[in-house]
Amino acid sequence: MAPDRETAARNAGRSRSARLAARLAHVDRRLIFVVVGLAVALPLIFPLNLPIQSSREARAYFDALEGLEAGDEIIFSFDYEPDTMAELDPMSMATLRHAFRRGIQVVALTNYAGGAGIAERVLSEVAAEYDRTYGVDYVFLGYNPDYSATMLRMGESIQRTFPTDHYRTPTDELPLLQEVDRYAEIELLVTVTASALAEYWIIWAGGKYGQRIIAGNTAIQAVLIYPYFQAGQLDGFLGGLKGAAEYERMIEVDGAGVRGMDAQSSAHVLIVLFILLGNIGYFLQRRAERAEGSQ
Amino acid sequence: MKRTGPVIFGFIVGMLMLIQHFTPQPWIADRYNNVLDWKQVVFGVTLILGVISLFFYHWKKVEQRQAGWPYSLLTLAGLVFMILVALIFTPERGPYPWMFDHVQAPMQATMFALLAFYVASASYRAFRARSFHAALLLIAGVLVMLGRVPIGELLGLHHLSSWILDYPNMAAKRGVMIGVGLGMTATAIKIILGIERTYLGKGA
Repeated sequence: MAPDRETAARNAGRSRSARLAARLAHVDRRLIFVVVGLAVALPLIFPLNLPIQSSREARAYFDALEGLEAGDEIIFSFDYEPDTMAELDPMSMATLRHAFRRGIQVVALTNYAGGAGIAERVLSEVAAEYDRTYGVDYVFLGYNPDYSATMLRMGESIQRTFPTDHYRTPTDELPLLQEVDRYAEIELLVTVTASALAEYWIIWAGGKYGQRIIAGNTAIQAVLIYPYFQAGQLDGFLGGLKGAAEYERMIEVDGAGVRGMDAQSSAHVLIVLFILLGNIGYFLQRRAERAEGSQ
Repeated sequence: MKRTGPVIFGFIVGMLMLIQHFTPQPWIADRYNNVLDWKQVVFGVTLILGVISLFFYHWKKVEQRQAGWPYSLLTLAGLVFMILVALIFTPERGPYPWMFDHVQAPMQATMFALLAFYVASASYRAFRARSFHAALLLIAGVLVMLGRVPIGELLGLHHLSSWILDYPNMAAKRGVMIGVGLGMTATAIKIILGIERTYLGKGA
């Protein structure tokens, strides 16, 4: 091949790879959105039923509740708002199912103003499934401003912290709260949260009053509470929808957590593929730029 | 006195909260409960101040027809409507729970659900192995992302994912927590002793 034709062929090859690199590195975001939508929706419509293994932290969460006896009391704090309902509602439902099924009594509250509506819905739905009576088997204290003072005061007196429940009934008239009034009389505290509130419960209810605590967290938040679990300040925890799915499998009542696992798997795989694609494009582009620079 | 008074008051309350932790004395426990009562009252008042401030911020925007004023009008309408229906029908009945279940909850859930799309798009655009450290972060991220879902467990990645969370992640988190704890202790001591006075405002 003549030298000029050789150079032209090499340049054509380079421009082809440069075009490919540019294409890989700059996929239209609308296309990404459509593919993500499909990756989430299709497994929900056509489930793959991928096997779900349980982690040791989820097993510990289950064991903490399983270790209680009928008639024992727990505090259940709905520490989230509607934005994270999809991830945390399955945990709340499964935990309350587990508790009501075993005859455990529940003192519920929320540290978020937006959590009251969620708590009412979840509590009434699960209580109806197990035919539990308000005031005797469970109560809902509602929302109290200032979570730090609420957490600390409940160690002294729940009735003083919440003079009335969410429905304005004086708490000293509720049979369940005539039996228990502070952490020392409560076997376990459960917080389901999308924020750092699990850490605050550990510091104030656990650190100051020695309350046993388990937590359900969004996947992002779960990463931050590993040290507390390892140190024994947290008896167990659930991380994200996967944690909810593991727990649902343990109590043998499949719910939204298990149903969401296939969709979450495909979405995660897709995001990893996009990351790889972006990096391949990036390296090809860098090589093409270097080749152009060396000419 | 304008400056000394609050500093003395801060010292007394700070010391009281410190001492109560170490003594079962009923008198101290009662004062501790008083402080917690006040704390909740103060918090409640700040919520009211927040609502008033939000109202006037948006009222001004509507009144002066500033950019985006229709959104401010919508915010004001929502605020006033929710307060009125809660006062008239109580938060447990009528339009208030309906608005929560059928407007606020779906809207907030939708906003959060959009994250999946933006995370996919942003990770494709920004998560590049530009350096050794970025590559390490990328590999750890990919392993944890896959190891935390059933498909990753099928591939045996959950062991690696758990190791990353149990060791490097925990070590980093512990370091941060210890640093934050020491910083908070130092700041608390400085406030109690009146060395740190920025909470009193300018010129304190």
